[in-house]
Amino acid sequence: MIKITNLSKAFGELEVLKDISLQIADQETVVILGPSGSGKSTLLRCLNGLEELTEGSIEVSGLVVDAKDSLKKRKKIIQKIRRNTGMVFQQYNLYPHKTALENVMEALIVVKKMDKREARLKSEEMLGKVGLLDRKDFYPSKLSGGQQQRVAIARALAMEPDVLFFDEPTSALDPELVGEVLRVMRTLAREGMTMIVVTHEMKFAQDVADRVIFMADGCIEEDTKSEVFFSQPSSERAKKFIKQITEHVHGE
Amino acid sequence: MDLVIQNLGFLAKGAYYTLLITVVSMFFGLVIGLLVALSRLKGNRLFQWIAKCYVSIIRGTPALVQIIIVYYGLVDFGITIGPLTAAFVALSVNVGAFLSETFRGAIQSIPKGQMEAAYATGMTPWQTMRRIILPQATKIAIPPMGNTFIGMLKETSLVSVITVNELLRSAQLLVAQYYVYLPFYLSIAAMYWIMSTVFSSILNSVEKRLSKYD
Ligand SMILES: Nc1ncnc2c1ncn2[C@@H]1O[C@H](COP(=O)(O)OP(=O)(O)OP(=O)(O)O)[C@@H](O)[C@H]1O
Ligand SMILES: [Mg+2]
Repeated sequence: MIKITNLSKAFGELEVLKDISLQIADQETVVILGPSGSGKSTLLRCLNGLEELTEGSIEVSGLVVDAKDSLKKRKKIIQKIRRNTGMVFQQYNLYPHKTALENVMEALIVVKKMDKREARLKSEEMLGKVGLLDRKDFYPSKLSGGQQQRVAIARALAMEPDVLFFDEPTSALDPELVGEVLRVMRTLAREGMTMIVVTHEMKFAQDVADRVIFMADGCIEEDTKSEVFFSQPSSERAKKFIKQITEHVHGE
Repeated sequence: MDLVIQNLGFLAKGAYYTLLITVVSMFFGLVIGLLVALSRLKGNRLFQWIAKCYVSIIRGTPALVQIIIVYYGLVDFGITIGPLTAAFVALSVNVGAFLSETFRGAIQSIPKGQMEAAYATGMTPWQTMRRIILPQATKIAIPPMGNTFIGMLKETSLVSVITVNELLRSAQLLVAQYYVYLPFYLSIAAMYWIMSTVFSSILNSVEKRLSKYD
């Protein structure tokens, strides 16, 4: 379970997250929507310590980090949280000097201290799961964006995380490559993986999400079941957002 | 020309010292450079400040002056070292400052996402530096490092002033003995050139090997 309590985040003067509280249950798939700059990425990044909390606390996998804790304590717990969570980035961020297989193996060896043979087997299994076993010896530069992103998902999955964070995983992809990544994500959702997904893919949100969180200006404007969000959004901003996005899609 | 051939052994010994000083100084320079770069990027304020001063002083003063200070200056502090040791120390410290800037630039040029991806899988900052950032930074740093290396090879001629019998001083000694200039200086020029070219081609092949993932 994930629990965010009165979380605020500021970059200097700029308040990016304003007193956010939120709970996400195990096996839930939550999509975070919202206009650019509303704080979606920052919220995800607070959950695995890529950003420091300004105020409030988070709880992930039973581990609590409070902004008031000492730096040393926060660092220690964040390190543990990162072992129990995975993140998939917009720009894939594969290690360019390692093959697909080595990308997946890296943290198994370095963080989980698995022996090489075991790590290899596990990594091959994960690459198989995302349909890329035949590309395991390719360097990232030799893979398409969609393939790179699937390797990135395999890399996160290999660590057997309690929850996966996705930050616009398909936004950097050519349209024809979006589907293969979403397909993998759908499978994960169906298998009961807990996922928090920032995306602009409305169809994915409608079909796969259990719940939609709509953010604007660092606040949660709406937090409802996904059917409700799309059929009867309550706030004006959400209505406007849905309208813009659908027009944008049709306009293309 | 006969004179050169007669004294080839003597010149070769000079070339050996030139090479030795280059390789030893480069090795310690690399170690110093990496440590200084990491201090500047990851160290606390004090380390950052020390590292910054070091780089600024070394880059802002002539290598010749640094060599003389190490050899003659340390005596005032009761430290006497041989000319060869002084050459090693002075040139390592000198080249370390330049290499630290190369490393720093290379490390900074690695996209932040690389670090974040590694952190997100639970790797510690040190593991991330060692396994993800440095291998990529090294590859970027190799061409400028090669230039530093070749610069170093030529700069070793400066230590002739503290009586190290490297290539240049070997030639000077022969000139003093035989009163002919050109053959000796031309031959050492050729020897410098050959060594530089060999280094360049070694570095090129290393670079090629490292670029297999492009
Ligand atoms: N490291 C940072 N330093 C300063 N400001 C930042 C930093 N990271 C984000 N911001 C600012 O915080 C605000 C929220 O950013 P965030 O990336 O969370 O938005 P987002 O909802 O993910 O937007 P997008 O849809 O464009 O990705 C923006 O105004 C952004 O400029
Ligand atoms: Mg974002």
